[in-house]
Amino acid sequence: MRRGLMSWSHQEMPPERLQARVAQVQAWMAEQGVSALLAHTSIAQPAVVHWLTHFTPYWSEAMMVVWPTGAPTLLASLTKRVHPWMREVGLMGELIMAPRLGEQTAQHLLATLAPSARVAMVGLNALPWSVAQPLRQQAPSLQWVDASDGFAGLRRASDAAELGLLAQASAMAQLALSATPSGATNASQVTASIERHARLAGAEEVMQRIAPKLAQPSTWLRVDGDIPLSSRYAVELSLAYKGTWVRWVRNFSTDAPPPDWAQAQDWWQHQVLASASTAHTPGAPAVGTLQHWRIELCQGGLPLSPVVDAPASVAPLPSGARWGVVSAQLALPSGGWFAAQPVQWTHAGAIHV
Amino acid sequence: MSTNLHQARYAQIQSAMQTHGVDALLLAGNAWRSDYLRYAVDVTPMEGEAVALITLDNPPQLWVQHPAEADRIRAERSHLAVHHQADHQGAVLQAMGQWGQARWAAAPGSALPWGLAQGPWSATVPATTAWLDRLMVNKLPAEADAVERSARLADEGYAVFAQAARPGRREFELVAETEAWLRTQSCPENFMIVGSGGVEVRGMHPAGDRALTEGDLVTTELTPCVDGYYAQICRTLVVGAPTQLQRDAYAVFSQALAAGIAAVRPGATHGDVARAQNAVFRHHGLGEYVGPEYTRVRGHGMGLYVDGPHVLEDVELVLVPDMTLIVHPNTYHPDVGYMVLGDTVRVTEDGCRVLTPTTRELVSVTP
Repeated sequence: MRRGLMSWSHQEMPPERLQARVAQVQAWMAEQGVSALLAHTSIAQPAVVHWLTHFTPYWSEAMMVVWPTGAPTLLASLTKRVHPWMREVGLMGELIMAPRLGEQTAQHLLATLAPSARVAMVGLNALPWSVAQPLRQQAPSLQWVDASDGFAGLRRASDAAELGLLAQASAMAQLALSATPSGATNASQVTASIERHARLAGAEEVMQRIAPKLAQPSTWLRVDGDIPLSSRYAVELSLAYKGTWVRWVRNFSTDAPPPDWAQAQDWWQHQVLASASTAHTPGAPAVGTLQHWRIELCQGGLPLSPVVDAPASVAPLPSGARWGVVSAQLALPSGGWFAAQPVQWTHAGAIHV
Repeated sequence: MSTNLHQARYAQIQSAMQTHGVDALLLAGNAWRSDYLRYAVDVTPMEGEAVALITLDNPPQLWVQHPAEADRIRAERSHLAVHHQADHQGAVLQAMGQWGQARWAAAPGSALPWGLAQGPWSATVPATTAWLDRLMVNKLPAEADAVERSARLADEGYAVFAQAARPGRREFELVAETEAWLRTQSCPENFMIVGSGGVEVRGMHPAGDRALTEGDLVTTELTPCVDGYYAQICRTLVVGAPTQLQRDAYAVFSQALAAGIAAVRPGATHGDVARAQNAVFRHHGLGEYVGPEYTRVRGHGMGLYVDGPHVLEDVELVLVPDMTLIVHPNTYHPDVGYMVLGDTVRVTEDGCRVLTPTTRELVSVTP
């Protein structure tokens, strides 16, 4: 539930860019013959509404309604007292206080639409029962269309404004990881330093996982309570800047790094990042075994969703994706080794952001 | 969190399932509403949906949407069978199908995704959520102890916040210093909002990039989480020397908080606590500012989330020992702007114990 700097720079995200995104959605709606498109937002699934309005609720929940023309309506369960702040950080048309979100969304739709109109919802199956049930009950004849796939196709085509935020987020994450104190013996020393540097740089949100003992079979842990660090550990930093999330991983060794780390890094650079644009399984590492590799995109309500999760599921990268986060884990002779970073794909190949 | 507390909560869930005639309970959570999952299976989702299946006879199972979460939770919670599939909702429905004619219940309404809510168990959501809420509001002593530990952290965290509040520093920098300090204490979570400025400020919000100036009121509610339990402190400070208007206004909030805390005792209701605070504002001719146009909420439960109904005049939740709540007469004052002041308290056998030792004086930080 943490939230850091939430603000809207019109230089970084021009209002016209948000309006253009809404227009894209409206064109899709016209093609599909739907009268309105809805998306629910909360801390758990904020990405659709943020992409179209630049607004994320720090608390509670809201429903966005995109009409065939004009700016989206936002029905928000937050108190009316914060409406001025909401308009400061986001672009929306009508803003309605809606403590009974499902019921009031239904009323809002039926004030304009025919009772049996076709209405699209991004993330239909993820909608919380407390909103979905009254919405369905109050508007029983509306024909619901799951717009998740259609929206994802639009969303993957990132624009220059988003790529600018991506670069900022990535730079902040690298800066924060670079400030990790040497000789740390407890996870809290590491997370505190990273958090401080990230937030002072303007990060909106910071989420960290730690693999505290790389010499043993390793996995990420949430830092809740005292976690001693061994001489080799890894940190995964997920960081949001103005709604754009990245992940970076660093492996740390208080002594000289084991030689196989250099080989792993070489494999990461030349096999994984180079092949990520086609989502083919990367070549085997020169040392150790591949535990998994993954590609995540922002294409729905979650900030980052896995679209390739090898070896469990390997599929071509969805068309139109311009950036994503690539991650991998190796079991090396020296122990566990992790990697993750954002990658931008262009016609010329992958660019490491 | 101690294994004993987890086992005690799980036993409470199983007992309640038997009381309510439930064979199998489906519990959902996500990064926003993780409280029910924490209570039942001691899991805090960081990303994506997570759904637990709890039965009377078998170990609990958990399905998660994100593969990284599956690895993490397997490592952290050996008592759980953790599953991940790309279609996690489909996998849950398939597993539920194996239970045939079981008497199902599902909760909470705030997190149960619609893809899992379209069965006969859908009708059980309100009642199941309600009995789970009762379990979570009526705390075990060990749960209230955890809130006490969290309250101590909130108190120390506020000192860090106040130390950071100096002219020229921006709101988000105060939050950065506070959050970083909380991480040094191994605290994984904190909810905080802030406000800064003067009479134009009518509430709090996430930190922006406004720089503090002399004469500002700086407000925050700071809510760290220890062992899964949250406690909160609300305070207002002044950058520089407070004006007489600020002192006079703050005195009303101080009186209201004292009146609210005096009303907290077993048998009293949330409504009683709210009315005690609001009476002070009305006495000073400020009744308008405790109504719906400003801030009506005079506090709320503290625990795994904002437990139970808010402290409002029309809420008849009866207080019992070991309930934990914050009493906060936060609202707008027309002379000076938005002010906050609130302490976390624990209901005792004959009243309550205030868990927030930070001074209730209007703190002044020097430029």
